Amino acid sequence: MTDFTPAARSGLGRRTFLKGAGLGLAAASMPLGARIWAQTGKVLRVSSYADIDALDPGFYQNGYNVDVMNCIYSKLVRYTPGREWDWELEAAEEIEQVDDTHIRFKLRPGIMFTGGYGEMTAEDVKFSFERVIEHDSPVKSDWGPLDHVEVTGKYEGVIVLKEPFQPLWTIALPYGAGHIVSKAAVMEATEAGGDFGMEPPCFSGPYVLKEWRPNQFVHLTRNPEWTGEAPGFDEIRILPMDDTKTAERAYEAGDLDFTEITLSSLAQYRGNAPRDTTIEEYPSLYYVWLGMNLDNPALGDENLRKAIQHAINVEQILGAAYFGEAAPATGLIAPGLPGHREAPLVPVNGDLEKAREYLEAAGGPPSQPLTLDALNATVWKTMAEVIQAQLAQIGIPVQINVQDSGSFWTLGMESEGERWKDMQLVLNRFSMLPDPYYATSWFVTEQVGVWNWERFSSPEFDDLHQQALSETDPETRGELYVRMQDLMERSGAYKFITHEGAPVMYRAGLEPGLRPDARPLFIDFAPGA
Amino acid sequence: MLIYALQRLALSVVIVAVALSILTLMLHVAPGDPAVMILGPRATPELIAQTRVEMGLDRPLAVQILTFFGNIAQGDLGRDVFTGREVSTIVFEQLPYTLALIAISIAWSGALGIALGAFSALRRNSWLDTLTGVLSVGTISIPAFVMALYAVLVFAVWLRWLPAIGAGEGLWDGLVHLALPSFAMGISWVGYVARMVRASMLEVMGRPHVRMARAFGLPERRIARSHVLRIAVLPAVTLIGTGAAHLFSAAVFVEVIFARPGVGALLVSAVNERNYPIVLGAVLVTTGIIVLATLVSDLVVAWLDPRQREAL
Repeated sequence: MTDFTPAARSGLGRRTFLKGAGLGLAAASMPLGARIWAQTGKVLRVSSYADIDALDPGFYQNGYNVDVMNCIYSKLVRYTPGREWDWELEAAEEIEQVDDTHIRFKLRPGIMFTGGYGEMTAEDVKFSFERVIEHDSPVKSDWGPLDHVEVTGKYEGVIVLKEPFQPLWTIALPYGAGHIVSKAAVMEATEAGGDFGMEPPCFSGPYVLKEWRPNQFVHLTRNPEWTGEAPGFDEIRILPMDDTKTAERAYEAGDLDFTEITLSSLAQYRGNAPRDTTIEEYPSLYYVWLGMNLDNPALGDENLRKAIQHAINVEQILGAAYFGEAAPATGLIAPGLPGHREAPLVPVNGDLEKAREYLEAAGGPPSQPLTLDALNATVWKTMAEVIQAQLAQIGIPVQINVQDSGSFWTLGMESEGERWKDMQLVLNRFSMLPDPYYATSWFVTEQVGVWNWERFSSPEFDDLHQQALSETDPETRGELYVRMQDLMERSGAYKFITHEGAPVMYRAGLEPGLRPDARPLFIDFAPGA
Repeated sequence: MLIYALQRLALSVVIVAVALSILTLMLHVAPGDPAVMILGPRATPELIAQTRVEMGLDRPLAVQILTFFGNIAQGDLGRDVFTGREVSTIVFEQLPYTLALIAISIAWSGALGIALGAFSALRRNSWLDTLTGVLSVGTISIPAFVMALYAVLVFAVWLRWLPAIGAGEGLWDGLVHLALPSFAMGISWVGYVARMVRASMLEVMGRPHVRMARAFGLPERRIARSHVLRIAVLPAVTLIGTGAAHLFSAAVFVEVIFARPGVGALLVSAVNERNYPIVLGAVLVTTGIIVLATLVSDLVVAWLDPRQREAL
């Protein structure tokens, strides 16, 4: 289990530590030519699963936008590439958690905004973080209980929270809303500092956005005003391809240097990889589960729900839908994060005997087939069909409804009318960031009728969720999240299936910089020596 | 003929208006909330409700439709709900790629199809005629997306002769990047056009005016070119015109498989995202083009056939 709050990492004590700039400062002071990775004329060609649609970090929505923002803006800290979740300094020279609600930072001097907007100062940090709250950004929850940022010097400031918030270190600072923009530039470009959309007024990262051709490419080139560690490539071309199979073919044809690959292709590539290619397998943070609508009369009997839980054999589902390449999930939280459970309460492969016992206690199968809603993609349809067959084994008929994404993603929402009432079983999959709060936040009572489609409501769960947000001891925090997942599973409304996987392939000699879930950190990519 | 053209243009406007009205109705009947898609999962219900008001989604459907047409009349197709960019800019950015793909596909498939069809008719019952027939039916049977996949695997992945993805930059690079997509899209049309031209030529060759031309001692080549093909090609021209609509649909698959920009791929993602302004703007433009293409093909037929010209 990885905990990367600063107290846990430093070993200097729970509350106070000083993170020195160390190697980062030394590298920043090296002349460009001395940096061994930077070679002239090197272009990195990669794919992205979608085209960018937001370049304002205060209003980002999706990870593919953040992949570009990581290159063109700076943050106080950033994710460290590698197999363990961790972070390192970026724009900050120092950062320390003074107490549970105060985080002091000091910027590295000399970080320049392009376009003549001068040096990055603590005022820019204050502006960047507070505007997310002030302008009611859809992602303001990333900053949780942020109260304000106090500027104490040209480069120094203190982030002040209303209450402790552990995800600050795992999501707020190193990810989307943690990117720092120029106050002067944004105020000039917008009304009162709001969303600047697709037209960044300036940049502060190792790259600048040279050109964006919608649905064709994003072209990044070196930022001539960047004074930090030089990135490995002169240029990056990001090509949007929403079909991963298309990206695989493009890689095989020599048009890409790096791409994620599908689990269905993994076995084939393992045995017969393209020439001069490295295949690597990474875990994913996504979580896939079968949910049951607790407010649907057909599923009101807990014994019936438990019968369904015990009838489902996850290994069979994964064998069919993921070609055996995905591991079973034990809960919401993937391995490597606090709160990951070693085993679920209901066996991964189910228990048909117990399923039949529960079904008998429920008075037999429902008189009408249960509906199972799933997204209209091959993997989902396959999973649904396997579940349908498994439930048929104990006499529960299931009717599968496949839906396009626009219809599916509002299925359980009360704002969409009465559709939530008819929803019974649903195959669902949420994305995830590297903090367990991000998973459990969708299943609190407040989310019933929004994203909590099972309409699971537990005061104990809600209390644990709040408690875990501010719990500073990593082991205790982990235990809280384990208990939350136990509560979910005991309700009978959930059968956890998988976290999928995130295999990638890249040219031999390329040194990719990836997060532990294989999301690319393009500024860490380097051509081989 | 001018009056006929104007009448057809007026009818085209009505067709486009009806199509858009039906589409708007379908979009709103289909489940899915654009405000949710725009704002993402962490938006509060209050923000979602506010966004729906800003997008006009809280108004009655009839008002939304009338507002849309009123805006079109002023040249305003609205704004993309995600990026805030003007829909007209987005659609017209993508449109040239789709039009180029369709035009190149029709051009080479039409030219080759007409040539093969004429050849088959003139060498009727020869082994070459039989071979052409088999290949024609074969290419008609293979869906465009299947052809696209195999074209990529053979020419881009295995042989590395052509690029697998993208639209290229510059004229020559753009044409190179069009080779495989247009091949995938056009190959089945070769078969359609060839079979139609062959059948049509055989029918025309039996007409009295052709027998008369032979009786006058005109060379066969001249008879075939000036007295047979000129008439026989008319149905093929009509087919190609209406084929533009089919090719817009095929372009969707091809644009996804080859990761090309274009209206097809734009429309698919816009429908999935319930991005109403993009859907309506793109359909407006594509419907208009299809209707115009049909009109142009009818006018070309009228120009080629003096009898139809007189009737107009």
